[in-house]
This record gives sequence, structure tokens and C-alpha cells, in this order.
Amino acid sequence: MTTLWPIMLITFKEGIRNRAIYAISLVALMMLVANFLICGMIMQEVGKVAVDIALSAVSISGLLLVLFVGINLMAKDLDKRTIYMVLSRPISRPQYIVGKFFGMVLLIVTTTFFLSVFAVLSIFMIKLSYPHYFLRFSWPLVLLALSFITLSLILLSALSFLFASFTSSSFITLVLTMIAYIIGHSISDVYSLIQASQFADIRPAMFIVKLIQTAYYLFPNLSFFDIKMQAAHAIPLTPSYIFWTLLYGLVYSSLAIAGAAMLFRRRELP
Amino acid sequence: MRAFAVVLVLTILAGAHIVSLRKLTDAARLMPKNEETASVVPPAILRITSLEFRSLVSDYLFLKSLVFIGSTFERTEKPRVKNGEWKWVYNTLDASTTLDPYFLDPYYLANAFLTWDAFMIQEDNLLLIRGSKHRDWDSILPFFVGFNYFYFLQDNVNARKWLLEASEKPDAPHIFYTELASKLSNEKNRTNNAIAFLEEMTKKTNDESLKDKYASRISYLRSVLQVERAVELYKKKFGKQPSDLKTLVQTGLVREIPADPYGEQLYLDSDGHVKSSSNAQFDVIH
Amino acid sequence: MIKITGISKDFKIGVGAKQVRALENLDLEVQKGEVFGFLGPNGAGKSTMMKILMNLIFPDKGSASIMGNDVRDRETRRHVGYLPENPYFYDYLTAEELLWFGGRASGLTSVAVKKRTDELLDKVNLRSARKRQLRTYSKGMVQRAGLALALVHDPEVVIFDEPMSGLDPIGRKMVGDLIVELKAGGKTVFFSSHILTDIERFCDRVGIIIRGRLRMVDRLDHLLSTSVGLEDVFMKEVVQAGGEAEA
Repeated sequence: MTTLWPIMLITFKEGIRNRAIYAISLVALMMLVANFLICGMIMQEVGKVAVDIALSAVSISGLLLVLFVGINLMAKDLDKRTIYMVLSRPISRPQYIVGKFFGMVLLIVTTTFFLSVFAVLSIFMIKLSYPHYFLRFSWPLVLLALSFITLSLILLSALSFLFASFTSSSFITLVLTMIAYIIGHSISDVYSLIQASQFADIRPAMFIVKLIQTAYYLFPNLSFFDIKMQAAHAIPLTPSYIFWTLLYGLVYSSLAIAGAAMLFRRRELP
Repeated sequence: MRAFAVVLVLTILAGAHIVSLRKLTDAARLMPKNEETASVVPPAILRITSLEFRSLVSDYLFLKSLVFIGSTFERTEKPRVKNGEWKWVYNTLDASTTLDPYFLDPYYLANAFLTWDAFMIQEDNLLLIRGSKHRDWDSILPFFVGFNYFYFLQDNVNARKWLLEASEKPDAPHIFYTELASKLSNEKNRTNNAIAFLEEMTKKTNDESLKDKYASRISYLRSVLQVERAVELYKKKFGKQPSDLKTLVQTGLVREIPADPYGEQLYLDSDGHVKSSSNAQFDVIH
Repeated sequence: MIKITGISKDFKIGVGAKQVRALENLDLEVQKGEVFGFLGPNGAGKSTMMKILMNLIFPDKGSASIMGNDVRDRETRRHVGYLPENPYFYDYLTAEELLWFGGRASGLTSVAVKKRTDELLDKVNLRSARKRQLRTYSKGMVQRAGLALALVHDPEVVIFDEPMSGLDPIGRKMVGDLIVELKAGGKTVFFSSHILTDIERFCDRVGIIIRGRLRMVDRLDHLLSTSVGLEDVFMKEVVQAGGEAEA
């Protein structure tokens, strides 16, 4: 751990001082202000819409953070050879990957924490203004949703590390991570669609079915971490769901980072 | 000299910008708007493409419908809203409720306009039934379904079924709903039932224009009730049915015969029931 | 201190199967306390060899060790200081934070890091800029920060790849003084350059590498005594290498 801390810290510092952080915070702030304006147009369930917008603001900002600041941190090391300053220390390749990843985790947790504070404030102020239109509301679920958003961002970031460990440019890493994000959020629905259509008249080709099934296991199923609807309508989650989602996130992230570490051991840095 | 030329060019460009923008806005306004056509992206596809922002897209689609309907209030042409446009509203609310079936607002909006204005009762019920399945703690949606079956579709069996379903919910006035449900099978009591239903609908809406709609119908129905009672009194008094409703006025049993909300006259049919000659396909209570 | 045995390395250029022989069967030893100059034209393989020593690139054949440790072991780098050609650093860190990282990652205590940081920033003349972010630094300042980073943990062996590149005369003098100081402290210095005058100034021994092959290794004073000058020796080797390539 003592070897990892210096890398963690400089990764965190490099990330948090990136100019993009300001832009991302601005995006979030704008959405949270818009929240107020939009909620004024809602007739019944102001609470639901307030939560929707606040949580989506954190999601979008977090996504921008992982895609632009996060990938920059890792892939830039490789593009611009800033990695030399780290690997010239008595640090192994796997230690480098893990240390940088933990620094990234620290960055994500810190940023989403601040974004979450603003999101909670936004919801709170709207709740004060329209107390009778918050039909079903649960602060614990909102906070849980924010935690799940953080975890899904960490997962996506771990994947971006995996991609960066074998691709040759940061742009390719960006594209792959975006594809992983899109697949991650749609694979669940596509999987159900395929399974449902097998009972209906539409029979998709066997090869397509197998492909989707493989993708379901291979790609991160990010939709499990999306509990915005449950938070918006105060629909409770079972403890078993929460537990398995957390475990899935941890396991998948660990696999991705382990993969990245293994691939990176053989990578040459000419 | 140089600076002057630069300022001149910039001023001309700024002027050209304002003029071209204004002209463009006018021209765009005159172009046929194909926004409100009946087709919308199939909800199943929209689900996938919304990724993790399903709820947000649902909110957006609801607001889109709301804004559209609001924009039609200023129109002077009749019909105020074309059939195709109502279809678009339905499709959009269908998509909105597919993405987030727990969202109450689209159901409210659908029920307010797809019934009274668009006469799309079945479609409205489709949406409301979807909502009832998901909002299983809420009595309002099954109540709306029950109302639609009773008032517009004149299907007492289904009306009773849905009213009973509504009565099971924790926020329902249980006794009131179950009693009303049991009264529904009695056709003679139809006017009273309609009044009871409409009064409950009035309680459940915040919209002023809807409240007015209900109020005018309630007062109309109350006067119909008076006419019906007058018919019964006449039967008791004279041992037979009155030949027409004017007789009731002449005999002083009722002050006047009210017109229905569509301005049509009431008449007495061969079975002795008070009916309206209105051609309205729905919203006829006899 | 540095032992290179039979190192060969080929690179694949582009998408096709075209291979470039970067290093061919290199054998080299650098003794403790000596300053060894690695001389060669651009693209001769100097950087490649140094990166192999730092385990950034893996050789196809052969092995290397520093202070008896295989270079593939990360512990080897605890006592090695490396300055790459054209160093890049994280933009938003300050020089102070950079040295903190280098020191702590190499196992120094916080107290020791603070002390070394102050010393080195003074020595490379970056004391006034210590709290400014590295992205505001000029090229010369970046190079000097790199030197400080390479030395923060007081390494026994120092590997510099073209340390004078891009420096003005003042900077070059500073690097030169540093190398002399290191030698006086008993450290081993292995540096590469394609500038003959720099080699002539500090080195005990010189190795000439052309097109991946080590053509000559000799004591500097010996080389200079038996010929007109280092340039002469060097050009002779270049010509001979060219002739061999054509044959």
C-alpha cells in the first residue's frame, strides 16, 4: 500500500486540477438550475421529476469525467510518455495500474460527492417549494442511487484502463469506452427483447441470440446500477439486490483491472 | 481608416445577422409542421436508445405533450385539434408511460384530454390500465378506468370491476367505492351514479377547466334528476306516463326542461326514460 | 555495476512485417564509479538500450543487470536514477510535488524527501519555481526538473539519455557540474549523447554504437592519445559501418 499511495495521490491531483473539471461542474450546475424551472411545469409528481433531473445531472457529469478526464489520465501517460517518470521508480507494472486506478477511484468518489451535494441541495430546495407535490419520496433511496452511480462510474473507469492497456492511442480507448457504456446500458433490454421474441413469432437467428447472450456476460451490465426510477418513485429495493449489485460491481472492476495489469506487464514502451 | 473599415464591416454583418434570422423565423413558421404526425419512435426502441436516461426521456415526452396541448388553446379553427394530432398525443404519452410506467402526470393528462376532447376512450384506458398495474398503491388510475367504462362506454360490468379494484387500495374511500360499485348494475339509478362519479372526479383534479366541465355536467344531471323525479311523480299522480316533457312543465311538476351540455333538447322515449337527442357519440348518460 | 550481455532487439515498423534491427548482440559493462559515455548517431540504439535497462522495453535475446540485480526486477530501480530524452511530466503537478512523488515512491521517508527536495531544487536552480505547475515551465526548466527527479533518491547508478539536449550553455554547464559531482561522490554514470564535446568533457570510458552494434569501447584518454581526436575516431567508425552495411 505504501508504494501505491504516491501514485494514487499524484493521479488524483493531476485529475482534480484538470481544467475539464470546471466545465463538468458547470454542466452539472446548469442542469440543477434547470431542474427548478422544469419542475414548475409539472402538474403532479414534482418529486419524481426533481429526482430524475438531479440524478441524471450527476450521471452525465460523472460520465464526462470518466470519458475525458479519466481516460486522459491513463492514456495520456502512454501517448505523451509521462509514464516514464513513474515506471523509473521501483514500481512494477501491475502496481502502476492498480495505483493509478485507485487514484482514479479517489477522483471519481470525490467529484461525485461534490456533485451529489449539489444534487441533494437542488432536490431539497424544490421540495421546500412544492412540499405537497412530493407524493412518494425517500432520501435513503436517492442516496443509494447516487452511490450506485459512483460505483458504475468506477466500473466504467476500470474498463477504460483495460482498453488503454492494449490500445495504441487514447482516442481508441475513448471510443471503446463509449461503446462499452452504450452496450452496458442497453444489453439488459436487448437481452429481454431477444428472450421475449423467442416466444413470439419473430425468431431471430440462433447466431444473434448466442451473440447477445455472450455480450450479456462479457460486457458490464450497467443498467443494474441505474436505480433512478426506483429513487424517483420511492420503490424499495430488496437487500439481496443491493448486495449482489455491489458484489457484481466489485468483481467486474477487479477483473477488468486484473486484466489490465496482466496485459500491461507485457507492454513495451518505446 | 483601417479601424473604420473593420467597424463598418462588422456593423453590416451584425445587421445582416438580425435580418436573416428574422426572415428565417418567419419562413419556418409558414412551413408545414410535420412534428405532430402520428408516428413516433416505437417505445421499445426508445427504451433502448434512452440508455440510463429513460426516466428523463419520459419526463421530456410528457412535457412535449403538455406544451402541445397548451399551444392549441389559442386556436380558433374547429375542430380545435385534428384527429392526427390527438393520435400523436396518444403515441407520445404511450411512449412516455412505456419508459416510466410509474409516472402519474401522463396518465392524468391522457385522461383529461383523450376522453372529453379526443373521444379516444379505449386508448386512454389502455394507458390507465398500464399505470394501474405498476402504481399498485394508487387508487386514482383504476378509478379513472372505472369512470370511463361507466360514463363513456356504458359498460357497467367492467366499471364495477375497476371500481372494486380501486376500492382495495390503501388511499381509497373503501366504503364509498364499494357501495357505488354495487349500485352500478341498477340502470334506473344511472343518473345518481353519474353524479356520484363526477363528484369524485372533481375531487381528484386540480385543473380548473376540468373542474368546470364536471361542474356543468353535474348541475345538468341534477336537473335531469329533477325531471326524472317529476316523471315518477306524474306516473303516481295520473297513473300513466306523460306524453312528452312539456306536459311536466305545464302541470307544474318541474320548472323547466334543461338542455344538455351540447345544447340539445331532452325528450321522453317510449320506455319512459329521459333521453338526450344529442349526436355526441360519448358523453351521453342515457 | 551495469552488465549487459548479448542483448538483441528488433522492432516491427508499421503494419507490414518489416523489421528494424535496433540492437545486435550488445555486450557491455560499466564499472562502479565510472562515467561511461554512450556515443552514436541518431537512431543508433542508445535510447533503446537504456530503456531496456529500465525495463521499459524487453530484449529479444540476452539479459542485463544493474548492481547484480536483473533489470526485470523492480527493486533494481530503487537505486537507479533515469532521465529520458525529452522528459514529460504531469502538467498540473508542481516541481515540489514531482520530487515528493519520486522520493516517496523510491522509499524515502517524508522527512528525507523534504530535505532532498530542497537540496536538489537549489542545485538545479528551480527553487523560485517550485510551487508553479510544470505546464508553465520552459523546456530548460523541464529538463532540470527531470534531473532533480532522477537524483532525488540519491541513486547509486544514474542513467541519462541525452541529458544536454535542448539546454542552453548555462544549463549544459549545470549538467556537466552535476555529473562531475556525482563522480566525485562515487556514483556510476551512464549517459548517452551524440555531441562529441560533451563526451570528451566527462567520460572515463566511451562506447561507440552505430546501427545497433557496439563497434568500440575504450578508455577516453587512450582513444585521444592514439588518434587525432574523438571526432576522427567516430567518423572512422561511421564510415566503416556504412561500408559493412553495403557489403
